Amino acid sequence: MPEPTHKLKIALLGCGQIADAHLSQIARIDSVEVVAVCDVHEDLAYQAAARFNVPKTYTNLDRMISEVRPDVVHITTPAHTHADLSIKLLNAGCHVYVEKPFTLDATESASVLAAVEFSNRSICVGHDQLFDPMWLRCRDWIQRGLIGKVGHIESILGYPIAGNFGALVAANPNHSVRKLPGGLFQNTISHPLYRITDLMDEDQPKIIGGWHTQPEYDFPTEMQLSFQGRTQSASLTFSTHIPPQRITRVYGSKGSLEIDIDAQTIRLNKIAKLPGAFAKLEVSWQHLRNASWNFANNCWRFAKADIHYFAGMKGLFETFYGSIQNGTDPPIPPHQIHRVTQLMDRIFDHCREQDGTSRINNVSTTPNQEVSKCL
Amino acid sequence: MPVIATVTGATGFLGRRLVHSLLEENDLIVRCLLRESSDTDALYENVPVIARERIEIHRGELNDKKFVEEHFANSDVVYHLAAALGGSASTMFLNTVIPTRQLLETAARVNVGRFVLISSMGVYGTQTVKRWGTLDESTPVDPMPEKRDPYTFSKVRQETVAQELSESLGLPLVIVRPGVIYGPGRSAVTSRVGLPLGPMVIRMGGGQQLPYTFVENCAEGIKLAGLTPDMSGEIFNLVDDDLPTGKRILRLMKQQGQRIRTLWIPRGAIGPLSRIYEWYSNWSEGQLPPVLTRHKCEAMWKPLRYSNAKAKHKLNWKPKISTEDGLQQTIAG
Repeated sequence: MPEPTHKLKIALLGCGQIADAHLSQIARIDSVEVVAVCDVHEDLAYQAAARFNVPKTYTNLDRMISEVRPDVVHITTPAHTHADLSIKLLNAGCHVYVEKPFTLDATESASVLAAVEFSNRSICVGHDQLFDPMWLRCRDWIQRGLIGKVGHIESILGYPIAGNFGALVAANPNHSVRKLPGGLFQNTISHPLYRITDLMDEDQPKIIGGWHTQPEYDFPTEMQLSFQGRTQSASLTFSTHIPPQRITRVYGSKGSLEIDIDAQTIRLNKIAKLPGAFAKLEVSWQHLRNASWNFANNCWRFAKADIHYFAGMKGLFETFYGSIQNGTDPPIPPHQIHRVTQLMDRIFDHCREQDGTSRINNVSTTPNQEVSKCL
Repeated sequence: MPVIATVTGATGFLGRRLVHSLLEENDLIVRCLLRESSDTDALYENVPVIARERIEIHRGELNDKKFVEEHFANSDVVYHLAAALGGSASTMFLNTVIPTRQLLETAARVNVGRFVLISSMGVYGTQTVKRWGTLDESTPVDPMPEKRDPYTFSKVRQETVAQELSESLGLPLVIVRPGVIYGPGRSAVTSRVGLPLGPMVIRMGGGQQLPYTFVENCAEGIKLAGLTPDMSGEIFNLVDDDLPTGKRILRLMKQQGQRIRTLWIPRGAIGPLSRIYEWYSNWSEGQLPPVLTRHKCEAMWKPLRYSNAKAKHKLNWKPKISTEDGLQQTIAG
């Protein structure tokens, strides 16, 4: 039964750095309004409310729910709190948007998805790059058959450890991210992984590869994995040696696509049809056409003010809110959410097995005050 | 009994100079609360061996209440310098405001004699001051700090929290608002001079006074704010005499052989340009971030005069290093 269309009341839980991205993108959507923010630290809630004109702040979740009765709550707290908070909010009658990673493991994921069924509410996970304009175009071109059947996907994440967040994690052995079952990777590989699962048919392919610890660190910082399915393969690279970048290459039977989410470019390379030396001219011509198309496209988008770092987030929010208002299926199907979580469990188990180690660390259920997203 | 002065952020650019300044006082012990990872080499640099014995080093985290309580105990004065210098607003609040709240509560619980909070002159709102008017301690704090940069926003909130807790917990509080602190190891070309754009600096105006204070002068003023009797509840601005202009700093750098490329925006153009930029940022829903707004431009580059009369009069503070010498030392590195 579709719910009546009205301006959805949004609340946000956990006012750390990623909350800024959520609040700035929600502000761009006319069909909703942010009615409250909540954080255990009143100062964090205060700063978010002041900068984004949010009328109410809370330090107590129960009080926020009972007083503002939000339709949707965004959870932007540390990962180890996601499952309990999601279940609590679903049972309280709220639709829930959870930042990645969805939960600590597949057991928690199953519990949350069971609560979704039971409560008849919707849930969405922050797999926002699937709604980035370049990724949507990639999917469109694949569906139009421009590269034929997808056979291999290559997903790369550049993550300098000296960056803002990486440096915090590296400097503090008690940082909550270091205590996740998959350590730093649990907080970061969702994005490159779901870019693979979005195009890979096989739910749980064979995993080859592992993680690596640089000598100057006491936790794994590099990851190189290969996924082998029956008809498709994929590779995932997480590297702290290269500048920040989010690149995916999709190889098909007729050609390939390269999607650079940071540069907002997409390149279509078709298999050359001309013979011998002429093929070299044909491929170079394709590169020139790609460059011209991307330049013109980005100029046009810049003129329309359509270039935003978190464009995918806005797209996902709009689709999720629309599904709530129209009573349609949520944008990320629950089985896809669970699939990524299961795959992450298998990846971390596999890496530990290769490494001969037990869990990176015990999961802390105590909020760490040095983590901005604490609740 | 010796005076115990406890310092947070003691190995920082300003902190180590404060420690050195405090060690000039006889019968005073400096207790430094440092992180495990903090390097103490610079702290001990140029400190006579005999004076080193009066430095206590305690390592721990400022969000560890037990650690702080143990070392705030018996402190006659706490100088709170530790603060985040960069990052998003939430990061700044997390690393500046929240620890300050906890430190103040602990300080009140263990009866610290005086809490000296190092804030910033950036907290002032310049809307009420006329062009070329004088900004002093009576100037109101910016009523819309959320429209400024994250550092300033967090400093305004930090002061508010400190003043509220000081009142409710009965903790003697002194707030020091230094201007832009410069010295060897930190460039004199700051956002007050202009904005970096790749290898260039966009010089904003250039003839207006800059609220600068040489790091050793500033440390001396902070020391006095903690040790001068009967100062509870006071606020002090710290800026040097003979304040420089952006033009003067860049000229000096060029004279000393430093190559620095600049693009000049005349003062009269800053207002209109900031209006256009702000309009575009809003219209484009942040395609270009609102780094240049009317509010920020007023606060940063409005031509004002800055008074240090109160610190001179009440603390008997005098900037020992002239601006000319300070700039020469800074540019020489």
